[in-house]
Amino acid sequence: MAVELDERLERYAELAVRVGANVEEGQNVFINAQIEHAPLARALTRAAYAAGARYVDVTYRDQHVRKAMIELGPDEALTHTPGWMKERGEALAGAASLWTTGDPEPELLSDLDGARVGRAQMKALAEIGRRHMAERVTNWSGVAYPNEGWATEVFGEPDVERLWEAVAFCTRLDEPDPVAAWRDHMARLETRAAQLNELRFDALHYRGPGTDFTIGLLPTARWMSALFRTSQGREYVPNMPTEEVFTTPDPRRAEGTISSSRPLALLGEVIRGLRLIVREGHVVEVEADQGADVVRSQIASDDGASRFGEVALVDGTSRVGQTGITFFETLYDENATCHIAYGFGIPEVFDGDAGDDLNVSSVHTDFMVGRPELEVDGLTKDGQTVPILRNETWQLPE
Amino acid sequence: VTDAGSPEARRTREERYAELAVHVGANVQAGQLVDVIARVEHAPVVRAVTREAYRAGASYVDVYYTDQHIRRALIEHAADELLSWTPPWLLSRAKEVGRERAAVVALTGDAEPDLLADLPGERVGRARMLEIAEESNRQINERLNNWTVIGVPNEGWAQQMFGEPDLDRLWKAVEYTVRLDEDDPVAAWRAHVERIGERARSLNDLQLDSIHFTGPGTDLRVGLLPESRWQGVESHTAQGIPYVANMPTEEVFTTPDLRRTEGHVRSTRPLALYGRIVKGLEMRFEGGRIVDVKADEGAEVIEGQLETDDTAAYLGEIALVDGTSRIGKTGLTFFDTLFDENATCHIAYGSAYAEAVEGGVIEGVNVSTVHTDFMVGGAEIEVDAITRDGTALPLLRNDVWQL
Repeated sequence: MAVELDERLERYAELAVRVGANVEEGQNVFINAQIEHAPLARALTRAAYAAGARYVDVTYRDQHVRKAMIELGPDEALTHTPGWMKERGEALAGAASLWTTGDPEPELLSDLDGARVGRAQMKALAEIGRRHMAERVTNWSGVAYPNEGWATEVFGEPDVERLWEAVAFCTRLDEPDPVAAWRDHMARLETRAAQLNELRFDALHYRGPGTDFTIGLLPTARWMSALFRTSQGREYVPNMPTEEVFTTPDPRRAEGTISSSRPLALLGEVIRGLRLIVREGHVVEVEADQGADVVRSQIASDDGASRFGEVALVDGTSRVGQTGITFFETLYDENATCHIAYGFGIPEVFDGDAGDDLNVSSVHTDFMVGRPELEVDGLTKDGQTVPILRNETWQLPE
Repeated sequence: VTDAGSPEARRTREERYAELAVHVGANVQAGQLVDVIARVEHAPVVRAVTREAYRAGASYVDVYYTDQHIRRALIEHAADELLSWTPPWLLSRAKEVGRERAAVVALTGDAEPDLLADLPGERVGRARMLEIAEESNRQINERLNNWTVIGVPNEGWAQQMFGEPDLDRLWKAVEYTVRLDEDDPVAAWRAHVERIGERARSLNDLQLDSIHFTGPGTDLRVGLLPESRWQGVESHTAQGIPYVANMPTEEVFTTPDLRRTEGHVRSTRPLALYGRIVKGLEMRFEGGRIVDVKADEGAEVIEGQLETDDTAAYLGEIALVDGTSRIGKTGLTFFDTLFDENATCHIAYGSAYAEAVEGGVIEGVNVSTVHTDFMVGGAEIEVDAITRDGTALPLLRNDVWQL
């Protein structure tokens, strides 16, 4: 029996393999997927072999197995990493990697003890991942798999086809030549990052409903698009979609009030109407119409959690933004509009050792601040103000 | 009568099955690592097994899902030398299971039995992780783990058996064979362990030299070792933990002397092997070795397998099953050895179970990387036991146990 293939899924997987992870001939490829994403994992495997992968290793995870551990397992199980998983994690150095998102049961863990849910993380594996990230030894990418549960979260009904259409639009799969479309898209974002780097802004100023906020930038940090390079120089796009140019801000300099413009899905809850009051780089007060406690406890989790680690600019040409959909999935929602993250900074934007300029924390939470009414200006060291975004339109010459 | 609101009625069939697999099958001990190996299609039972294992006190439940579509892509695209390659992290995982003396729950039940049928048979046959096969052979022979294998009903498997995806019918058949239809399945298994165990004890008391099968197309003598020990249903780890390695199981079995099988045998049921069905299999033995293979269908699959290594063509198991077998009573062919081998008497070429020999892997005990059971019993087959003084005792007549 031959396998009946879904042509759109195969093209999607090919895009993730060729543009996203940019799998190199002869590379081992590691795929991490939820079992509900098996059709995508299979298509990624086929596409990886077609791209010349040496061996494709797929590890499936099952949220119900995790739930059983959190609910019924002993304390030590929560943070345990099996020895073989560490060995597999180490083997990612020099390899390509793909992971899938799109939670089929976003509420699955909501009735469990929140403290245990928060602790349930394979610590040793996360540590290996962080080290590989810093050493830039893996070309990797994440893509989402439309499924009924996720569609229900987004649309209130399991309209998978509608979600697929949105995903195909956001990832440029609707283009006649998606690979070429991505090349053009990344070149445009790279140009924006280069522009911002030339202008050498000292700070950004955000002004809009519920927002009057200034955040300092660093002379040592570059603006980037999500066109990453391994230490061996292999280009890859770690997120599909991506619409942002971003940098790591000065963790010591932020002042004012900033309000979120979209709901945020965080640790199994939805945060609405978030407002952060910031003094001398720290979030000092958290307000929200819904879910403020989750943000408060996250910000209290360590020293760096109340400082900022990322500023990202996205304009109205964003395909994610154009859909008007809240996806309840950070991979998508952070690309809808401008966002800021509290928590750890992104090391890639520094050329050398960042030292104190890089915020250190165990958390990194992006939240959306962009909307038509939001004005974003760049402030230069000598006191000039340069408009960057007005009415979600990019103001610098393109 | 079960009240609809009672805890019993609220339990799903997956939960009832998992309880049996964890407590009777693998017999998970408090503090044990539990290894679960399953296909992605088995998730509903995997999840129930995981929950039950934690309730039984598991220190950690490590679930490894495999996916035949990923295997298919490997067979289609990967270089020759990678087909039987074991990724080092998976070998480490297998070794950890032995070192930690983990409990193991393995799930079978093919959701797409024809998935690999259009691929070159030679590559399909080679696509298995050899180092893991050797490691798990070693662990079984050293009796490190309490383990069990259960079948997970799914639509594809039901389609193969019934010609339609009648999942409920397959669930009912499986529940019957594993005694989940009983009010108290755990008690039913205890009685079953006792009854088949008694059979094994009585065979051991007889001090047998060989077993003789006669019937249409069959006249086969299978020689035993003086150290051969009959076993049934319940096994024990080296540390003494009892477990039931297969659910269902109906057989008493032992390890024959690999040098002393003579005569010819005709298989009485179709055999599912590597995605093919072998029908009308006939074999001739000389000095323990299979010297001739014929079949109406699929002989080449058997011949290919017998060439895997030097010892593949010698027997490693002989098992006796009578007409009380629940699998036999269903009249169904499951196309899954876990079930079909329990329908009737069977023998296996390839590796032996060292546990069924006093002294383990001694001379005359077969060691191979293959082990294929095929069915040789039925109402028309007479089975006699030959004692060491040459007396013939009837064991089976018309599928009825004679002792």
